[in-house]
Amino acid sequence: MRRLFRWGFGIFRRSLQLRYVAITIVLSGIALIAVGGFLSYSIGSGLYTTRQQQILGESERAVIDVQNTFSASGAADEVSLQTLMNSVVPDLESNISNSNRRVALLRSPGQSGAISLQSPISSSLDPAVIPDDLRTAVRASTGHLVYRPISLPVDGQEHPGMVVGAQVQVPVAGAYELYLVYDLQSEQTTLDFVQGTLVFGGLVLIPLIGAVSLFVTGRIVRPVKVAAAVSEELADGNLTRRLPQTGEDVISSLARSFNRMAESMQTQIDELSRLSEMQQRFVSDVSHELRTPMTTIKLAGELIFNSRETMDPTAKRSAELLQNQIERFESLLGDLLEMSRYDAGAVNAEFDVQDLNGVVGMAIAGVEPLAQTRETEVQIEIPSGPVEVEMDSRRIDRVVRNLLANAIEHGEGKPIVVRVAQNNSSVAVSVTDSGVGMTEEQLEHVFDRFWRADPSRKRTSGGTGLGLAISLEDAHLHGGWLEVSSKSGEGTTFRLTLPKRRGIMVALSPLALGEPDWPRGVQR
Amino acid sequence: MTRHILVVEDDRSLSETVCLMLTAQGYRVTACYNGLSALEAFKKLSPDLILLDIQIPEPNGIEVCREIRQTSGVPIVMVTAKSESEDVIAGLNVGADDYVSKPFNQSELLARIAARLRDKPEGAAASGTLTIGPLTLDVEGHEVRRGTERLSLTPLEFNLLLTLASQPSKVFSREDLLEKVWGYHYKADTRLVNVHVQRLRSKIEDDPEDPQIVTTIRGIGYRAGSPAADQA
Repeated sequence: MRRLFRWGFGIFRRSLQLRYVAITIVLSGIALIAVGGFLSYSIGSGLYTTRQQQILGESERAVIDVQNTFSASGAADEVSLQTLMNSVVPDLESNISNSNRRVALLRSPGQSGAISLQSPISSSLDPAVIPDDLRTAVRASTGHLVYRPISLPVDGQEHPGMVVGAQVQVPVAGAYELYLVYDLQSEQTTLDFVQGTLVFGGLVLIPLIGAVSLFVTGRIVRPVKVAAAVSEELADGNLTRRLPQTGEDVISSLARSFNRMAESMQTQIDELSRLSEMQQRFVSDVSHELRTPMTTIKLAGELIFNSRETMDPTAKRSAELLQNQIERFESLLGDLLEMSRYDAGAVNAEFDVQDLNGVVGMAIAGVEPLAQTRETEVQIEIPSGPVEVEMDSRRIDRVVRNLLANAIEHGEGKPIVVRVAQNNSSVAVSVTDSGVGMTEEQLEHVFDRFWRADPSRKRTSGGTGLGLAISLEDAHLHGGWLEVSSKSGEGTTFRLTLPKRRGIMVALSPLALGEPDWPRGVQR
Repeated sequence: MTRHILVVEDDRSLSETVCLMLTAQGYRVTACYNGLSALEAFKKLSPDLILLDIQIPEPNGIEVCREIRQTSGVPIVMVTAKSESEDVIAGLNVGADDYVSKPFNQSELLARIAARLRDKPEGAAASGTLTIGPLTLDVEGHEVRRGTERLSLTPLEFNLLLTLASQPSKVFSREDLLEKVWGYHYKADTRLVNVHVQRLRSKIEDDPEDPQIVTTIRGIGYRAGSPAADQA
């Protein structure tokens, strides 16, 4: 039940059209009730007033007739008087056109003299329906009519009715009260019919209004739905999609504006991607063009370097410097090429299932000379068994080497901890130093190309400035993560997490990322 | 005996530097600067090895390599500026034995040349004849015969077959073969092995699609002899 309710509410919340139809139905329902109520009230009171005027007119004539009959009769004995009185009631009962009225001629109480005349009363009238307060009012009145609406029991049903009373002076007998009781059932029937018609009309009108508003809102919502679908397609990269634009109304003007916006977006995106492509091709071309002269320089440099022992000290030192810088230049060119391969999406990776411990061990051995010159101890915490993972081991070796070189360079000679761990689906390597650390501002830029934590810092390991950018691409190539966490003055942790097999989503890294209170870098 | 190397490279400076370096190492060197003169020089001089840049004018290195392979199995080492591109595969497919990518250094180039000029692969039988399936290998004569028919293999293909045939029960990984046949002592491009095994099969197998002599062991590498023959 609750689910059904939630489902219904969900549809209501999602469908603009349904919401507007519902609002229209509720509002027009309220208006119909108000109008219907007013109509029914004014028809009812109109009917009542008209009938009342008619009743009062008839009653007045009846009272005058009766009074005249009594006054003119000259009856003096009780028998003739009784006969006269008994004839008055049937006369009054039949003497009108549209409805039967009931009559009662009652003697006012509290008069002197014992009169044994019977009060004539219509057979269908129970005198108890005549309220006592009306009788009091009649006795207090002098000549004019007094009336009151009453509820009239007829054949076990309560009919609306009206009773009109007046004083009549009967010769010999004294003061009598004449009551005329009218049945208003026919008016009530008319009113019931009118009200029934109004309710029926309303019940028919509300679904009709609903249908009309459904149709109208449908006409308005449809272009909006189309626009939403087209926007979705545009967002998905289908930049050539447009809205159909016909006519001059506000919807077409929306379509035109929308299309113009899409047009300008497409132009901008095309332009940007063209520029970016040009830039990437430029970097790639330059890098490739540099390779041939680079080869010549390298070979010639080596020839010179190898014969440095025969040179004078100045030339010899120059040869050594030249050799050093050629190597640096070469690694920069290599990184540039690798970066441009990633930019161009032209990376060939060779995936193999291998032991991560072995790759990490090789990487540590590779940076051993650097660690020794910086007198830095590298501590290892790795599982005893093999940690098998499907990877391009050349790239992962490069990533770990790069992280180690960075840690040694920024670790201020304090020990560096390398950890390896695995869980069901993923493996991780983390490299933690206890060196200078980074500020949060520096953390944001650590994966940027050619960014350096401290430009003035003396560079000893000769990094190219592209190392972490390439490492990040390497991690992404494996469907993994490369994350950083660091606190200024305490140290830095880099953590590489890889899925055990290609295509697996990494959900949770098996290793912690630095200390809990260290800020984390955000990858963009 | 001085080995003769034909250096085909259109960049004059690089060509001269390479020639200087090779000469210093005791090789005899001839330099060519385009494809046409390379083909002429090859016919006239019959060098022991060709160092062939792929991106040379008229005709390019790929065409030159294909042309030479029509008549000769001379070791060809390609020089490429784009190791990741299709160039490498194209070059290997037309019969280049190995490649170096720019920028290479002296020891790299010398190692590649030395490996290609070496007589026999590491660890292979030094003499005598070997039988593998229907083939007979004459180790000293560098000859392979099927019955009486002499098959024409390049020295590299011969070395590849010889390495596999020397230990018929052993499965060689691609890395093993790269080390023994190509002389790489570190992880190298396994495409070299794949392409040359295909080329070898097309020469020695009855049906290269269903090889019986050099068989693939999935996920590991290659070995000589079919799995069925092994069980018998």
